[in-house]
Formats: sequence, structure tokens, C-alpha cells
Amino acid sequence: MLSSLQNPRQAAAQLLNFALILSTAFMMWKGLSVIADSPSPIVVVLSGSMEPAFQRGDLLFLWNRNLLAETSVGEVVVYNVRGKDIPIVHRVVRKFGEGDAARLLTKGDNNAADDTELYARGQDYLARRDIIGSVVGYVPFVGYVTIMLSEHPWLKTVMLGIMGLLVVLQRE
Amino acid sequence: MASQERITVHNLADLKNTSDDAIPNYLNSLKFKQVHTLVDTRLALGYSAFLIAGACFLWDYKLGFEETKYYTAAAVALYTVLNGILTFWIGFVEKGTVYQGTAPDGSKISVSTSTKKNVPIYNVKVTVTPKKGEPQTIELARSFTEWFDAQGHFIALPFQTMLATTVPLVGKADPKRAAVATPDFMNTDSEVLDALLAAQPTGADSTDADAGAGKKSKRRKA
Repeated sequence: MLSSLQNPRQAAAQLLNFALILSTAFMMWKGLSVIADSPSPIVVVLSGSMEPAFQRGDLLFLWNRNLLAETSVGEVVVYNVRGKDIPIVHRVVRKFGEGDAARLLTKGDNNAADDTELYARGQDYLARRDIIGSVVGYVPFVGYVTIMLSEHPWLKTVMLGIMGLLVVLQRE
Repeated sequence: MASQERITVHNLADLKNTSDDAIPNYLNSLKFKQVHTLVDTRLALGYSAFLIAGACFLWDYKLGFEETKYYTAAAVALYTVLNGILTFWIGFVEKGTVYQGTAPDGSKISVSTSTKKNVPIYNVKVTVTPKKGEPQTIELARSFTEWFDAQGHFIALPFQTMLATTVPLVGKADPKRAAVATPDFMNTDSEVLDALLAAQPTGADSTDADAGAGKKSKRRKA
């Protein structure tokens, strides 16, 4: 590893391998974003408000294009509350109007009341542009790792430690 | 001339990389002029792709997804194309080439190497294109044990001798190596080899070695 630093081309080539792994992962994510027209085409369910449809930790795939039909009552959508950056997965229960002017009301299947309480102050309904996608597929439970990591920060330390140990042991 | 660095002899990638690195070292020491076009093209392709991804990350981070999504789409398409060209370049143009260069007499030489998974054999393909005339290809497959000792030291002498005796162009540039009758290196340790190397014929008797090289270099080993 150190000896390769003497040769700038070789060092550049090794650095490039690493850089391309990172950038390819990023561009695949962006490609998926572009195809689904959603800033975040894959999300993890963080709460139990959609049980029994979705549990915490389920991985959801989103689609944000209205190619054949408009987003309508019954669809499970992910939306961002204005001013907050936490995506919420709930079902559309009411819809007034059409197209961009449509007003949508959402509710969690497992919640007693609809989402008006959750919306930003002064906001009584969602517009289509607040929605970042409708759920079109899911993988149960695999997203639980991210919940564990964010709820128990010490796990991050443990994981970094294990990765560091592996690097040391593998010598490369 | 055993290098101080040791490699794991069970690691085929280590064996191959160390040997690959030794080829430019050796040929450049013989006044061959290395040409870097292949690797430079690869680096240019790779780093332009990476820069596009970096720019895409920046505008996405600063301006958000909605404002920039058409630029992002273009960036993704361009990145895919560049990566495709890069893959093609590595797989079909470079094809494992570790050295390209020009010999002192003006002939062009290109060396590519490969290994098969779990087989400790070094496959070398040397293409020599004389100034006038048809390109000539020499292929050899040798065991790594010929130039790595049990401790994992790379030993330059048998490695260089292998190239000098099998490739006439290299033999001509390095008559000393070409004239060496390969002794049994398997049972010799690196100190002895270093001594052997130090005792190589010097300039005084190189005319003799030249004469021998002419004959020896015709011999091919498969």
C-alpha cells in the first residue's frame, strides 16, 4: 500500500477504485430517484401507525409519477410536513378536487384520528406536491438496522469498532 | 536484490501485483521508454465520472431534488455512459496490460498478464512490434514459485532472467540476464541470490555474453 505511493499513477488508480465504489452507489440511488421522480424512493417505516399493513423497520419502495391515474383515496403515501423533514407514511382517506389543486387528508390505519394534528400550524390538508411518493412495494423488517442505529447510538461505535478491527486484521 | 517487503504467498492477488509492478521497474531500468496512454485514459474516464457524481451531490445537497432533477437525470445518464466506456476500456482495450513502451531500438513492446482463480501460475503475453515488420507474440506461463521464496520475498534475478531469456527484445537490452543459465533457485535463500547477483558478469566480459544471448534468446519456454 505504501509502496504504491511512489508511483502517482498507481496511487491515483487505487484511489479511483474507492472513489468509484462510492460514486456508483450514490448515482444508483439518484438514478432510482429520477426514475421514481421522488427525492427519497426508498424509506424505512419508523412508527407503528400503519399497523397491521406496515411494521416498524419495513422498507418501502415509492413511486411519485401519476402516469395512469391520480393519487387517490386508499393509497398509502409518504409525505413531508412543511417545515419538518420527517417523512410520514399514512393512507389517503379524503380527497377534494383534481390535479394540482386537489386537497388530500391522510390518516394512519392504526391511529384513532386523522392527521390534521400532525400537519404544520395552519395547514389543514396536503397538496399533491407535499407527497414524495405512493408505496408500491415493501420488504419486511430489513430496515430495522437503521432504527436500531439511530435509537441506540452506542451501536454505531460498536459497528465502527468491528469494522476497524477487520481492517487491521486483514492488513489491506 | 530481494526486496525488504514481504507478501503473503497464499494471496494470489499479492503475487500477481508484486510481479506486475516488477515488470515496468525492470524494463524501464533497461532504458525502455514507458508509454502511459492506457492507464491515463482509464484515469481520465474514471475521474470525470467521479467529478460528475460529485457535482451532482453538491447541487442536490444545496438546492434540493425538485429544482435540480433534470440536471440529476442528465448526470446519471452521463455517469452510466462514462462507466460503461470505462468497463469496456478495462475489459477489451487494456485486457490486463501492465506495460507498454518503446525499446531503445525503436520496437514497441506491450506486456499483459493474467492469473486464473486459485492457480498460482503467472500468464504473461508479450507483443513485440519491430519498427518494420509484423508484431510477434510470445506467451509464457510460469509458476510464481520461481521468483518468490517461501517467506514471500520477491527475488528479481530469476524473474528478470525469465523475461530476458524468453523475449529476444529484452534479452538484447539486457545481455547479462539473457546469458544466465537458470540455477536451481528453489532451494536457494535470498542472501545467496543477492551474492549471485553481485557476482554477475560486468562490462568486461559482456561481449561474450552478447554472443551467447543471441542463441539463448531464440529458445522459448512455454
